[in-house]
Amino acid sequence: MSNIEHNAFVQKYDLLGCIQCGRCTGGCPVTVRTPLNVRRFVYDTVDDDRLEELSEKPDIWDCTTCNTCAIRCPKGLEPFEVLLGLRAMRAEEGNIEPTARDALESMFNNGNPWGKPAAKRTDWMEGIEGVEKVRILEPGEKADVLIHTCCTACYDPRIIPLAKNLVRVLEAAGVDYGFMGTEEKHCGSEARRLGEEGLFEYFDEENTELLGSFEVNRLVTLSPHCFNSFKNEYTSLDLPVQHYTQLVAELIEDKKLELKNEIGSSVVFHDPCYLGKKNLVFDEPRYILGQIPGVEIAEFFRNKERSLCCEGGGGKMWVESESKEQRLAETRIADAEALGAKIVAVACPFCLLTLEDALKVRGLEEEMRVADILELLGEAL
Amino acid sequence: MGDILVLAEHRQGELREVTLELLTLAGQLGGNVVALLLGSGVDDFAGKIAGYADKVLVVDDPMFANFNGMAYQAALAEIIKSEKPGLVLIGNTGQGMDVIGALAVELGLPFTTDAVAVKMEGDKPEVTRQYYGGKIDGTIDFKDADTYIVGMREAAIPAGEGGKSGEVAKIDNPVTSEITARKFLEYVEAAIGDVDITQSTLLVSVGRGIREDKNMPMMEELAGLMGADISGSRAVVDAGWLPTDRQVGISGKTVKPKLYLALGISGAFQHVTGMKGSDLVVAINKDPDAPIFQYADYGIVDDLLKVVPALIDKLKEMKG
Amino acid sequence: MNIVVCVKQVPDTSDPDTEVHIDGTGRGVDQSKFSFVINDADNYAVEEAILLKEKHGGEVTVVNIGPEAANQVIRMALAKGGDAAIRLDDEKFAFSDVLATARLLQSAVKDGGFDLIMAGCLASDDGYGAVGVTLAQLLGLPHAAMVKTVEVIDDKKLKVGRELEGGLLEMNEIEMPCVLTIQTGGNEPRYASFKGIREASKKEIKVMDLGATGLAEDQVGEAGSCAIMAQYSVPEVGELAEILEGDPGTTSARLAEILKEKGLV
Ligand SMILES: Cc1cc2nc3c(=O)[nH]c(=O)nc-3n(C[C@H](O)[C@H](O)[C@H](O)COP(=O)(O)OP(=O)(O)OC[C@H]3O[C@@H](n4cnc5c(N)ncnc54)[C@H](O)[C@@H]3O)c2cc1C
Ligand code: SF4
Ligand code: SF4
Repeated sequence: MSNIEHNAFVQKYDLLGCIQCGRCTGGCPVTVRTPLNVRRFVYDTVDDDRLEELSEKPDIWDCTTCNTCAIRCPKGLEPFEVLLGLRAMRAEEGNIEPTARDALESMFNNGNPWGKPAAKRTDWMEGIEGVEKVRILEPGEKADVLIHTCCTACYDPRIIPLAKNLVRVLEAAGVDYGFMGTEEKHCGSEARRLGEEGLFEYFDEENTELLGSFEVNRLVTLSPHCFNSFKNEYTSLDLPVQHYTQLVAELIEDKKLELKNEIGSSVVFHDPCYLGKKNLVFDEPRYILGQIPGVEIAEFFRNKERSLCCEGGGGKMWVESESKEQRLAETRIADAEALGAKIVAVACPFCLLTLEDALKVRGLEEEMRVADILELLGEAL
Repeated sequence: MGDILVLAEHRQGELREVTLELLTLAGQLGGNVVALLLGSGVDDFAGKIAGYADKVLVVDDPMFANFNGMAYQAALAEIIKSEKPGLVLIGNTGQGMDVIGALAVELGLPFTTDAVAVKMEGDKPEVTRQYYGGKIDGTIDFKDADTYIVGMREAAIPAGEGGKSGEVAKIDNPVTSEITARKFLEYVEAAIGDVDITQSTLLVSVGRGIREDKNMPMMEELAGLMGADISGSRAVVDAGWLPTDRQVGISGKTVKPKLYLALGISGAFQHVTGMKGSDLVVAINKDPDAPIFQYADYGIVDDLLKVVPALIDKLKEMKG
Repeated sequence: MNIVVCVKQVPDTSDPDTEVHIDGTGRGVDQSKFSFVINDADNYAVEEAILLKEKHGGEVTVVNIGPEAANQVIRMALAKGGDAAIRLDDEKFAFSDVLATARLLQSAVKDGGFDLIMAGCLASDDGYGAVGVTLAQLLGLPHAAMVKTVEVIDDKKLKVGRELEGGLLEMNEIEMPCVLTIQTGGNEPRYASFKGIREASKKEIKVMDLGATGLAEDQVGEAGSCAIMAQYSVPEVGELAEILEGDPGTTSARLAEILKEKGLV
């Protein structure tokens, strides 16, 4: 067989660059509870004849796409992308978990993975403290900041307060902002992580067109997952992209946002993978927390580049690992408890869900809480 | 108005409740109530039905020992031709749905299915049905005919006490040749043990609110009494109180039972996504603000460890 | 084995938050806010058809009555393994009831020499659950409704399990050609990938208008119907849960009563 068509994986993921040092697997957080060995996959996928068989392995769904392996690889590879490539083979054949299937079908039909009607995407905008009407942009309209809300923040009652607080912050700081209304769609991040590359490309196209229809200076996202997709994965989006922590840090620095109310607590910040390890935004969240009166910042031993994944990303919302070992989110909460933290601060909807769940499992509802920085800002305003 | 012919439904030696519901409805509509019982050795049923009908026609023939939609269709067609009722009521059930459309076409009669309410406007039935999963209602306009066929939803109206005492008339089987294109073979019960909650009609679903593993037997007793299967939230699956395949939610199973009884489940979005298609949701939770109540049709705000034992007693009483 | 599978495109109103609003005519609903999907039971019928084809060979033809937008669900079925497609589309078909709908399907499949015709057992929008059985009679073929399991006995016969209330399976032997209406849950519908659907748009979808069906105008649409929906209305239902008040003895008694009334215990 000719080596040109052959070795599709080898070329796409630069597999021959791998020196099999094992740093990827060595740092992979899910190895404590699943059989995943990403180095092994990087090695095995060199053989095209084995791809079919490898794509059938349940382990490929254990990866949370936390990016630790990519950060650690001395050769600059992104080992976990190989696993996404294998997932793509499964998705293409239609041979995926029903839970993943339902989420993907909903993304296409409703523009969100949650099976919720697109027409209800802006219902959360009702009843925001001190805000008469949330600004929704018409195509062609001008604004400084265009906001992408995140599907979860539009529909999950636990996450909706994040979106509401974001509006309060924007209003309080006098930001010239606008939302996209019910036209807003899923960013495609989780579609890609579930192996649906074609669907991701569809969102890339659709959203690039929609985002381009407004006269804005930048796009700000609520979720780090959307942030990453727009910033790094969209092929022709011509807009600077920021995560909300970056915008808020700027607003505080420029003295546009005043934080008055005290939150007298020890707060530890959990770095979301897609904000921290993937996009190296470490300082802004900490800066914001430091500006909230009364906050004492504690640090996890495993923080920043070495931060422990909460297992909320990478499509893991819809595909559970079989493992009965302690979830990483629980480990994280145990670590926070040991630090004596009263608040575990996050800046991501998925982290909030997984960590809060883990807090309940450990029965610590009375002692501690998990809160998104947006919620803390809401309290401090 | 003409007679109302009601098809009796029975299965595995038991008369199904829907029969009495339809007869009760027919009685309320006025006119002569004629029940048609197709079976083999079904004198008991005929006696019971007579209490609800002005006349019971019985075809006692081995051909009807078990249900065969095509045999039923053939018999009904002949009997409707000879009896000329103004209205035919058939349960919109696994049996009825196997007959109605084909029967109506064979006779060239107007028909509709899954009625939730029927009234008579002169000689014509006025039927109410549900559309879009019960989100809106609609009324049916029939083309004029001498006979109308209506499939009536099970449990749409309660069965009354009867109070009639119709004569029981045995008639010859009008179907003279065996139905060969389709044959009944046997009934197969869903295997016990391998419960598939996505297929369950009744679910008792438990959450962290049941507190301890040792309360599981109580929940199992309740489920057993109701003939329900047990499912749960991720919290109880994580705790190891239920196996993984019983988890309802985005990373578990999507269920659509007729009844979802949520015990000590808060109603997190990730959970609700998997059960929002349930027909009837009942929640028992001690927290009046638990989000599950937003999805429930009925709620009890109380300690489930007190309500469940009481409910078990009530159900035992009801079963005698 | 040559199989027809009938698929309908329906609005996805499964979410409790999805609102259905009656339009000005009282005979339609506002469709503008809906997302459209393949009818749930039809999705299982498609999967059953493809599974049979994979095992026993033959071709799967997808038949739909719907506007051009319904190509989406047709392509999805083609992407999963369907071979050919027919879409019946004419404004004269509007307001067809079960009978007129079955007649349209009959016109599309009657000359195809098919061994097996499958349809979902129930559409989630109008819920009649009768089209397949009606179609069978029009075609003069044997039928079985609410089928959850299909097994090929030989090239003339099938063994099918009809699902009855409470999950009981009624096993039947049925001769082919025949019509089956397929219940949900008998298989696990595969996913149609985005690329697969795009690829499938290269396959031809044959469109049939009234002329092509060979039917007369008074056999289709409202004129050809025997029982049409005349007027929609909004049912009276409470938005929030009814909270049962009282001590555990009282609340549990009331709950037991409700369950009995609804035929659930
Ligand atoms: C990635 C991810 C995926 C997830 N997937 C799923 C999923 O598929 N399915 C799922 O269920 N969850 C899932 N979750 C978890 C979900 O977010 C919730 O944490 C979980 O559903 C909560 O379970 P629960 O309702 O049993 O527990 P809790 O939320 O702790 O609720 C317990 C309830 O019981 C009530 N209660 C307590 N004691 C009593 C009593 N004595 N009497 C009456 N009521 C009482 C309380 O008031 C409370 O409302 C997921 C989470 C994440 C992060
Ligand atoms: S991305 Fe994270 S979970 Fe996935 S293989 Fe790499 S280190 Fe492991
Ligand atoms: S860290 Fe990089 S070089 Fe080392 S084994 Fe993993 S992929 Fe190969």
